[in-house]
Amino acid sequence: MSTDALRLRPPHHRVDRRAILWWTTRALAVTVVLTAAPAIPAVIFEPARPWLVPATAVIGVVGLLVTVAMPVWRYRVHRWEVTDTAVYTASGWLWQEWRVAPMSRIQTVDTARGPLQRVFGLSSVTVTTASAAGPLEISGLDHELATRVADQLTETTQATEGDAT
Amino acid sequence: MSGPDDFRPEERAQDPAPPATPPVESDLDHERRTDQAADGGQETGPSGDTERAAGPAHDGGPSVESTTGTGQAVESSTGSGPEAGSEPSETGSAPEEHAGPGSEPAGDWQGLHPLSVWAGAVAAGIFLVPTAVIGTAAIALFAPLPWWALAPIPGTIALLAFFTSIDLLRLRATRFRVTAERVEMRSGVVAKAYRSIPRERVRTVDVNAPIFVRVFGLCSVTVGTGEQGGSDQFQLLYVTAGQGERLRRELLLRRPATGAGAATTGTDGSADDTEETEETGEVELARLNRAWFAYAPATTATLGIGVGFIAALVGFNAQTGGWAWEWASEQANLPTAEELTSMVMTRLLVVVPASLLVLLLSGVVVLTAVAVETWWNYRLTREADGSVRLRRGLLTSVSLSVEGRRLNGVTLHQPFVLRSVGGADVRAVATGLAAADDEKTSAKSRLSPPMPVGRARALAAALLREDDSPLDVPLARHPRAALRRRFTRAGVVALLGVAVSIALAWLHTLATQAWWEAVHEIEEEIIPVPLASRAVETTPSWGWAFLAVLVAVVAFWYAVGSYRGLGHGTHPRFLVVRSGMATRDTVALERSAVIGWRITRSPFQRRVDLADVAATTAAGQRMYAAKDVGLEQGLVWADAAVPDLLAPFLVREDGAEGESGGSGGQGSRETPSQA
Repeated sequence: MSTDALRLRPPHHRVDRRAILWWTTRALAVTVVLTAAPAIPAVIFEPARPWLVPATAVIGVVGLLVTVAMPVWRYRVHRWEVTDTAVYTASGWLWQEWRVAPMSRIQTVDTARGPLQRVFGLSSVTVTTASAAGPLEISGLDHELATRVADQLTETTQATEGDAT
Repeated sequence: MSGPDDFRPEERAQDPAPPATPPVESDLDHERRTDQAADGGQETGPSGDTERAAGPAHDGGPSVESTTGTGQAVESSTGSGPEAGSEPSETGSAPEEHAGPGSEPAGDWQGLHPLSVWAGAVAAGIFLVPTAVIGTAAIALFAPLPWWALAPIPGTIALLAFFTSIDLLRLRATRFRVTAERVEMRSGVVAKAYRSIPRERVRTVDVNAPIFVRVFGLCSVTVGTGEQGGSDQFQLLYVTAGQGERLRRELLLRRPATGAGAATTGTDGSADDTEETEETGEVELARLNRAWFAYAPATTATLGIGVGFIAALVGFNAQTGGWAWEWASEQANLPTAEELTSMVMTRLLVVVPASLLVLLLSGVVVLTAVAVETWWNYRLTREADGSVRLRRGLLTSVSLSVEGRRLNGVTLHQPFVLRSVGGADVRAVATGLAAADDEKTSAKSRLSPPMPVGRARALAAALLREDDSPLDVPLARHPRAALRRRFTRAGVVALLGVAVSIALAWLHTLATQAWWEAVHEIEEEIIPVPLASRAVETTPSWGWAFLAVLVAVVAFWYAVGSYRGLGHGTHPRFLVVRSGMATRDTVALERSAVIGWRITRSPFQRRVDLADVAATTAAGQRMYAAKDVGLEQGLVWADAAVPDLLAPFLVREDGAEGESGGSGGQGSRETPSQA
């Protein structure tokens, strides 16, 4: 491609650094559960070990690789931005996604925090539009910041004309 | 990837006040008032999106006496809802609307038609009574305890009576009315429900008359609002055909923008006015041409349905342990299964094509019959008020009306076989119709039977009120990298085909005589003429190579077709995307209906500079994507299709801010900055 190719610029703000810890913990938890699934039978049934031990090893190694690589990678990709006219987010790691929703079409703004997010003082802001094709989600924001962003979004959408459909 | 701990319902519930409820929308709040509200009780909570809760049992049947009460309740609930003040016209007009219930004839609560109970009973009786009679006969003749023969008929009658009386209660508990502002329904015998839909939210009105209802002069009316996942619809079972027709007209009739002013004239009067204008203003867009039924069997399913049809017969034979065939061959002096097998094996070249032909023919018969049932009396018209009305059906006559403003586009739908015989059908892209996952509404979005593709394109242009059809705009090709991606996939499939072929060939050489015997026996159990396993046995094992070649050829042919199907373009009012090989869909979506963009890139797409650029919308399948488009190409297209939305986020690679024709808005002015 030529040097002046048109590109999406990344949104301005990164998510909170603590999100790395949050993603790491989450990935670790999933890895432990998935590894345990073949590992526990391997301990109990001796005849099945030739199959189960390699399976455990493969799942464990892949899981650990994901746990190490994914959170940092995600942190580099996950970004967000709220302008006067639109909300703009980037997310994903291997598969990446950029979403834009205009203020005038925003229907609801939610903040939500899972137990794990709460441990790290994080929150997610979810912005839905009339399309069921999935809401925009900004995950891993500082809780205070998330509340402020949600408030600001609410204010802006209230000031914007449109019937949101 | 959203984590498993991202959303916990209980957490949301704990949140005392949802931090943000924008003014613009809260469909659920509007459309699902609980009966508690109607009883003058308080609402369940600020977030009324709890399921339409069953209120306390309502005393007696809801009658006219409750009119004023309901009026107040609606008013108060509208006022107490989180969207208060956002729609002042509604709140403001409510007192006016309910000031004099007597002066507004349309405000009367109406019941369903009493005959609908008997329609249901007759329909059930037609199936149940003969069953009971046969049951009686069977028990009397064959069962060891003939006294039981007395049971089925009284039992059936009791069952019918029971369900009819339940239905009678349902009928008496259901009341509906159309006011100037809303359409309302109360229903439920034990769990009372009150549903109210603001009339401006009505997107579709669906009038259906299955044959058993039609003979009583009745029909069902379903009111669609475009609400997502509407588990409980606003449905009237059943009203008279005249009432159905009037509801259809009234509900889609748009009042002048002043709204409340026109309301005082009463809905009956306005309906009468429009009756005349509508008769004259109706424009016919399409009418059934019986030659189109020839396209009905043009599906890949034809052979499959034939197989299904034959398989059902074979299955019956297998269930009776081959007894059915023996009996049939004895009666008709047909050859036995063994004789048949030997005959078949000697004439394989005749029998195989002949049986395929039989499968095909039975598929054609079944599909044509279905098409005739579905599309008989097909007529597509545009009413004077701009709504599009579809009428069709032989046994079940269907009338579906879509508000004109909600028809945001059309899809030209061309499954492979239909496409190769030059056919297509037209589907609506409309709010309230056809979420991709919902089979029922997806079927509803079909606006035409399969017809010649030229006719379908003309119909699409007429539906969109465009002289130069958006479907005719030249579509941009996608980069060659998209073709290479498809070749890569085809290569993987071809390799899999080779692997499977090798495995099968290996198994073939391993198979012993005894093993074949066992397989033949199993096959003979299932079908009277065992063919498949013998045919396989006689084939030499290198024959499997043909399978590998076939898979590879089909895979690469599919890849090329799939690439050639890709395209995207813009029209002054619409954006157009096309994709698909097995089913090619060309979608024209109104540019003003786009409510966002979603750009996704897999690792492979990033390597070759491709992206999927998808427009999200409230209509139809909610998202329409230009797949594997060049990233720059896709961004330019999206930016042109919906100006100003994407522009602030686009840059030229060298760092200069590009294309910022819009308000700029780069950066986040009021955004609280990160710590």
